[in-house]
Amino acid sequence: MRRADIKDEPATYERLVYKNTSVYHYMRISLVLENENTRLSAAQLKQLIVSGLRDLYGEVGSAFPFDLLKFDARALTGVLRVYNSGLVKLWSALTLLGSYQNERCSFRVTQVSPFLLTLSGNSRELELELD
Amino acid sequence: MVRLKSRYLLCEVCVSDRSNLLLLDDRAIYTATKAAVARAHGDYGAALSSLGFSVKYLNAHTGIVFLRCRKSHYRLIWSALPFIASLENRGQRVPCFLNCLHVGGTIRTCQKYLVRYNTQQLHRMLPFCQSEAERSEIRKSLLSCTLKKEADDVDEEEDD
Amino acid sequence: MYPELAKCPRSLLVCEKSNFEHEKSRHDTHVSKHYFNHKVSVVIPECGALSSRLATVINNFSKYFLVKNLPVYEFLDKDFLKNVVWNGALYALSYKTSIDQDNTIALLPSSQLILSVDKDTYEQLGLEGKPSQYNHRQPMRYVVTIDLTDKSMDPEGKRYQRVLSCLKERVPLKSDFLLGRHNSGANGDRALQSLLSRYQWKEHRPVVSSHTLKDLPCPSLHALDLRGDQRSCDPHSFLEWLGAVSAGVSCDNTAASFLSTYICPEPQTLVSQALHCTVSGLLLPEDIYSLLQELRRYFDEPKFTSWLSLTVHGFMDSPVSWGDAEHGFHKGGENFYNLVLFKNQDYWLHMGTGSHDRCPP
Repeated sequence: MRRADIKDEPATYERLVYKNTSVYHYMRISLVLENENTRLSAAQLKQLIVSGLRDLYGEVGSAFPFDLLKFDARALTGVLRVYNSGLVKLWSALTLLGSYQNERCSFRVTQVSPFLLTLSGNSRELELELD
Repeated sequence: MVRLKSRYLLCEVCVSDRSNLLLLDDRAIYTATKAAVARAHGDYGAALSSLGFSVKYLNAHTGIVFLRCRKSHYRLIWSALPFIASLENRGQRVPCFLNCLHVGGTIRTCQKYLVRYNTQQLHRMLPFCQSEAERSEIRKSLLSCTLKKEADDVDEEEDD
Repeated sequence: MYPELAKCPRSLLVCEKSNFEHEKSRHDTHVSKHYFNHKVSVVIPECGALSSRLATVINNFSKYFLVKNLPVYEFLDKDFLKNVVWNGALYALSYKTSIDQDNTIALLPSSQLILSVDKDTYEQLGLEGKPSQYNHRQPMRYVVTIDLTDKSMDPEGKRYQRVLSCLKERVPLKSDFLLGRHNSGANGDRALQSLLSRYQWKEHRPVVSSHTLKDLPCPSLHALDLRGDQRSCDPHSFLEWLGAVSAGVSCDNTAASFLSTYICPEPQTLVSQALHCTVSGLLLPEDIYSLLQELRRYFDEPKFTSWLSLTVHGFMDSPVSWGDAEHGFHKGGENFYNLVLFKNQDYWLHMGTGSHDRCPP
């Protein structure tokens, strides 16, 4: 389509179906530490995940990029973005990660989705009080 | 019938001092390869490739090694081989590298390849001979050696 | 290196471009057929606060009820059927039941009762159903659909008695329920109240929260370029950006950054402020439709922005997504739609689902 073709007339109906075209998957994770007073920064968290990946898949297997989009240092929750091809590796590495600086820890994967948008609309988090 | 298919990696151990080759044994190659796989592919890769992995044959004189592994995961080992920088045996470190010559489905094809490869190497190296005497010396030893080698290989095939 | 590790579940995104004034535009059916909505969020660039008209619409969203331990057969009560269910305005969804492990029950406004139950319950229940579409090899989950408007479900009929006895005696299915009802007459109110009075219940209001974002990089969109070839960004990056805005993800990263390399998609403009407003609870399609109509009127007065967006998230654990299409959870259970409204009444509709869902209508 050339630029000159675009005019301000009402749009005609068009439907596009994308199947599996999302290149990324998004994960909402939280870190549970044995000692609740331990603090760690976003960079330390990412380094922890990278080292977990390297333990499980080695230097070749863990050589794929992923992003820590958001990190809440107080609640120790974060949002990760990873290419589809790395999803299974990242997820399994998170599951098998068991210690941070000689302290036992574990990752909880709260939500996984091919759309970042749905991470902010998790209906399982809807808490209603009866009283 | 269903059988588990294997891949055989025909490798050559390259060292600077050939006398060091005699120090090597199966175990040294095995542990060095496993360590390289573990480093490049982690626990997951090491566990996958340890299924059916073995050092089938090692010729300590020529430095020829046969590695056997499952067909589905041979790439793991194959890709880790270049990361081996030294072999260790009884406390002695031998700096070396492994040169993968051929990947075959059976020992037989690997052996055929090896014979062809050695002939090629011979043709390549013969012109470097200094004198006619040296050349005939080689020819003589070669003739006696070939016979023995053939016999060795037959043995090995029966083993498999 | 590991082909078996590179696979991931399927996802579907359907994008439509049309104009609200087209006769054949189906935006109204898409909105009204998405029955169980959990969250609505509106993003308006170049806007500081909700206009009073919008605020009124949002505050008028219907209230809903949380009922504890409600047995399913209560829905089949004659009086309740006649005054509430058949009027077609009741939405009921079991609360805190996960569709991938628990029995999940939903009552649609089309008077269909849907029981998505596991194999054991199904076998005890003795009602006819279909194995779920998203079983793995052996069916472990079954879906029973009972059309309450059907002739055979007449309260005097045999089938009605049978269904009632199954739900009352064989397997007394009960669960916490979210009930939502679009206003429809005093008789209905009375019948609903008499049902509620027998159980523990509480009325809830949708929770509204809104905040203003300052100096936000914002993708520029052009109504005619849905595909994102020339003057817009492609649908996936746009939805990613919307997600980043609602999750509070920062966009100012460089390509070499260690933590994150996410940036706002091109072409972009910097807007000085943007309004992000969310409503959550059990939200009825009728209310969302009235919000949509109000948003369409937003452009009646001249505005700086050329577009605004409305996102609606469905319940992940609802047994249906659009209409009566079966919905499953698998890894994310996502079912949502997003409308981008333009100045000249053009709109884009993005509908996304995860792997256990049929293609959106």
